Order: sequence, then structure tokens, then C-alpha cells
Amino acid sequence: MRRFLSLVLVLAFCLALGGSALAADTIKIGHTVSLTGGASMWGQSEKLALDLLIKKINAQGGVLGKKLELISYDNRNDAVEAVNVARRLANDGVVAVIGPAQSGNSIATAPVLEKARIPMVVTTATNPYVTLDKRTGKVRPFAFRPCFIDPFQGTVAAKFAFRDLKAKTAAILYDVGSDYGQWLAKYFEEAFAKEGGRIVAKEAFRSEELDYRAQLGKMRPLNPDIIFIPTSQKEAAMAAKQARDLGIKARLMGTDNWGSPDIIELGGEAINGGYFVNLTDLADPAIKGFVAEYRKAYGADPVLPNPVMAQDALLMIVDAIKRANSTDGAKMAAALAVTKNLKVTSGPLTIDPRTHDPLDKPAVIQKVDVTNKSFPFVKKFYPAGK
Amino acid sequence: MFLQTVVTGLSIGGIYALMAVGYSLVFSVLSFSNFAHGAVIMLGAYIGLGLVTKLHFGLGLVVAGSMAGAGLLAIANEKLAYSLLRKRKAPSLYLMISAMGCAVFLENMVYATIGSRFYAFPEFFKQNVLSLFEGTCNVAVLDLFAFGISILAILGLHLFLTHTRTGIAIRAGVSDMTMCSLMGVNLDRLISIVFFLAGIFGGAAGVFLGIKYLVYPTMGWVTNKAYIAAVIGGLGSLPGALLGGLILGVLETFVSTYVSSVMRDVFSFGLLIALLVWRPNGLFGRDTGEKV
Repeated sequence: MRRFLSLVLVLAFCLALGGSALAADTIKIGHTVSLTGGASMWGQSEKLALDLLIKKINAQGGVLGKKLELISYDNRNDAVEAVNVARRLANDGVVAVIGPAQSGNSIATAPVLEKARIPMVVTTATNPYVTLDKRTGKVRPFAFRPCFIDPFQGTVAAKFAFRDLKAKTAAILYDVGSDYGQWLAKYFEEAFAKEGGRIVAKEAFRSEELDYRAQLGKMRPLNPDIIFIPTSQKEAAMAAKQARDLGIKARLMGTDNWGSPDIIELGGEAINGGYFVNLTDLADPAIKGFVAEYRKAYGADPVLPNPVMAQDALLMIVDAIKRANSTDGAKMAAALAVTKNLKVTSGPLTIDPRTHDPLDKPAVIQKVDVTNKSFPFVKKFYPAGK
Repeated sequence: MFLQTVVTGLSIGGIYALMAVGYSLVFSVLSFSNFAHGAVIMLGAYIGLGLVTKLHFGLGLVVAGSMAGAGLLAIANEKLAYSLLRKRKAPSLYLMISAMGCAVFLENMVYATIGSRFYAFPEFFKQNVLSLFEGTCNVAVLDLFAFGISILAILGLHLFLTHTRTGIAIRAGVSDMTMCSLMGVNLDRLISIVFFLAGIFGGAAGVFLGIKYLVYPTMGWVTNKAYIAAVIGGLGSLPGALLGGLILGVLETFVSTYVSSVMRDVFSFGLLIALLVWRPNGLFGRDTGEKV
């Protein structure tokens, strides 16, 4: 009996070895994404877009003669869970990681992957400290992104509010529990003051809170021309309804997290006519091919901007593997840092080796049009010097 | 601004009170904190949403439908998760842990079946806002409606508990469960009724929360505020739940308006701790050992 058992064990061991040998024939790309929770709308769409692109790359022969394999784990849009996911991906032997999409989760993930020497390319995490170590002020060697950063986004919002909407006074309502909102509030405040406008109120709420009427009630007598709300679509929709209930007539303005189609259903008439900054636009000619492909495969529009940015991230990684001619983490990171004029889904992409942020990503301003259920394009801003 | 702050505070407090009643009712009879109540509220909101989007009911029928639905769910919750524990004379701590399990279970059931996306109720009122005192103060029509229903429902419950046979049996059970069953009261039935009542309040609260804010699987967690309201008022006391809810709502709004919105929870939770030190049983609480 004992002999039989040991035979079984040996067999099992051989199988396990064989299994891993087989698995080594693919290049594993990790994907940390919020498939459930408040950001799942983008997360699900992100995964679908990556599946689509991986199928295409594999059909063309893969990378370095190997097929790509995507391993997606749900980080539930939670920083603690994101760290767990990063560890699990490292154990699974992925060569690079796509995501997370949120700044807070990315800042929590970055040190884990840096220690494991696995390059990460976040999708839409726009906070500067995703690729920059706050303590040392140095660039994180393994963190990259294809999207613009918040100082630019905040500046674009402030410029548009002051110059195009002719707003002289502004109020800010933000989530004190989110890195994203807190920093954007600050960048907007600075840029709006620099333009010559005046911030009359800056009010915060805590994540998961639903009622902002106390904060909005405080803004009402100050009568700001616009209210800047750098939050996700859920909070923006509720804030818009509550502002209307209090009789506030100010124009509302938001950031790329507004750009989810359900903001129209959630906010209804109250959010109509609001403006927001976004990374991509459904009508952008550059992504026309992608949108058509996605529609054909899944019968629905992609939930922008995440699917586009996730494809950009994957293309950056594939390009780096090819140029490094290796899946070694350090070599890939070195290659990623000098990404130049790479054709990605959103257009050409060049990475700044000093910051690991793109040099040439424009921002678009979109309007919330509830009547036609769309986000018509309003204006495009390019980074300074471009 | 002062008047607006009071009005906003009362409208927030009214919903806290409606949710707090469910906690208080169950606590008064079984002496445990039914943390699954938040999930029942969430399901009530989904029932209401289904009634309005699929069957196009009006507001009155939607509220009534989700009250009934949530009431039945609360009974099922008790039968499946608590009654066996109860019959084995498990300590109430175990009931509370089971309740937390139910909350997470139900939430994830919704994730798995309905999905994690947000939903909004359609607008029920043509005119959304009433302007009072020459526009210095705005009140949403829905808030008035919700506030009215909350007060009426709590009053109705009070009358039910003091003027009907079943109500008297419930109050007898509150003071001594064993004695009550020795006197020939069917305890299982009694407890089902208590859960049904708690569920009814949860259903109404769920619909109002859903209309006022949004419907999504984790919306039940706002009820931790309602739970605090119930503790402030004294767990197990109906007037306590009402008053606790209103106090918390008004206080929070005043702190946000006149002190700082970031400091709001520091104040409301600080108040809770101070109050528990001063009056461990809350404002109207009975003398019970366990609070959580």
C-alpha cells in the first residue's frame, strides 16, 4: 500500500512538473482589475478589450514565438485587495502587470511589484505618485502608464472653466478618502487661482457617503459659477441631484471618472449640461477601428476610457518584450522607459524616461447630454509645448 | 442657511430613524444586533426598483410592495439563519455573527445574480422642490413624503404594540421571553411577526434610500449610521430610535455646515462614545447588559 502511495505521489509530481513546463510555453501577463464593486463597469470592459487584443496578437503568432496568456484577478477596487492580487500575480509568474485603474490601488500595488521586479503599466491611474515615489521623489523603476496625469487634468479643467465657461468663482466638492479626488481638488484649486479665478468653497466628504447636502448647502449662499466635482459617476450623479434639490444653479464640472455611460441614467436631468475632462472620446477618429471591433465582438459600446488605456498598456508591454528580446523584469522596464512613437490604440505614444508618464497625451472636454444620451466632444487640450 | 441646515438634517435623520426602528425591534425581543437588516433594506430597494421598472407601479404601490417583500425576506432570514441557533439556546453573540454572515451572503448573492452596477429610480414627482421663505430654504417633495411616512409608520407601530393582542404579546416577550411562552404565547410566531415588522420598515427605508440616492449591492452599509442612531436612542426603544435618528441627522448636518465636513464623523462617533459613557443604555434604553 505504501509503495502504491509513493508511486502515486511520484506520478503526481511528474505531472506537476510537466504542467509547469507546458505553462512556460506562454508568456503570462497579469491583470489587476476591479471586476466587482463600484468600478466594475470599466473593469469588465477593460478585460473584454484585453481578451480581444490578446486573441489578435496570438493569431498573428504571439510574442517571441510564444502565445500570450492573460491572468485577470479581481481587486474589488480596494487597496488591500489590490496588494493581495499583486502578490498572487507575482506567485503565478507573470512577466508584467496591467492595472490597476485607480490611483489609490496603484500606489498600494507599486511597491509590491517593484520588490518582485515585475513591471506594471497602470491603465487610468492619473495621480503623479503612481510612477513617482513620494518619499524619495524619484521615479519608480517598475511603474509606467499610458494616460495623462492629474496636474495636467486639473489644469485643463481650470483653464476650460475660466477661459471657455467664463467662470470667475468656483467651489470644489471632493472625496477626502480618495487619492484621486484629493489631489485633483488641489491641482484644480491652484490652476484656477493662477488663471485669476477665485475658489469660494472647498468641501469634502468621506468615501461611501451618500449625502452631500450639508456641503452643498454651504456653497449655495456663496453662489459659485461652477462646482468642480472630481469623483466617480456615482457621487457626481448624487451630488448633481442634491444640488438641484437645494436650488443650486451653478454649472457642474468633473474629471475622467465621470465618463461612464450610466452617469446619464443615474444623474438624470440634474447632471445635464455638465462638462468633464476625459482621456478618450468615443468619436475620436484614432479609436474608430477599436470601437467597431469591440462592438462587433460584444454587441455593446466599450466603457471608455479604460478599455482603450488597457490595450495601450498591453501594447507597451508587448513592444518592450520585443525590444528587450526578453521577459526579464529589469530589461523590460528599461525598454518601457524609452518607449518612443509606439503606435497604440489611442494614437502614438512616447514615454518620458524621467517620469514614466506619456509626453504627448491630450485631454478632451466632453459634455453630458442627457437628452441624446451621449457625451458630445467639446474641446481638446494638448500638453504645454505641443 | 440655518433653516436650510435644519431641514436637511431632519430629512437625513428621518431616514436614519426609519432604518433604526428595524434594529431596535429585533434587539428588543432577541437582544442581539441584527446586522443583516442592512441587507434587507438593500433587497427592499431592489424589489421597489423591480416594481417600478418592470411593472411600472406608482410610488405608493412601490413602497407598499417592497415593504411586504422585505417583510417576508426578513421572516425567511430569521427562519433560515437564526431560529435553529435560538432553539439551541446559543448566546446572542452567535446570532449577531450569523447576522453579519447573512449580510455578506446576501450582498454577494446580489453581486452574483443582479450584478454590481448602480441603478437610479425614475423621478416620481413633477415638481421636485418646494421653495420656502422666499427661496431661503428648499425642501425636496420626496423628503417631505419620506419624512411623513416615517413618522406615520413609527406612530402606527407604536399603536400596534400598545393596542393589539399581538402587540401586547410582543411587549410581554420583550420583558420576559420564557415567561411569555409559559403563558401560552407561540414564540416562533411572535418572533416571525417582529421580523416581519422590522422588514416592513426596512423595505420602506430601502425605497426611500434608493430614490434619494442610488441602488447598488453595498448600499446596506449606510445603515451603520442608523445603527448608531438606534444606540444613541437606546437599543430596543421605539421613541429612542426616532429621536436618535433625528438627533444624529441634524447634528451631522450642523457639524458639516458650521464646523467642517471632514470633521463630521469625528463628531458623530465622538458623540456616540461620550453618550455611551454618560448613559450606557442610550437616551431611552432599558437596562440590558449587551449593547452590541
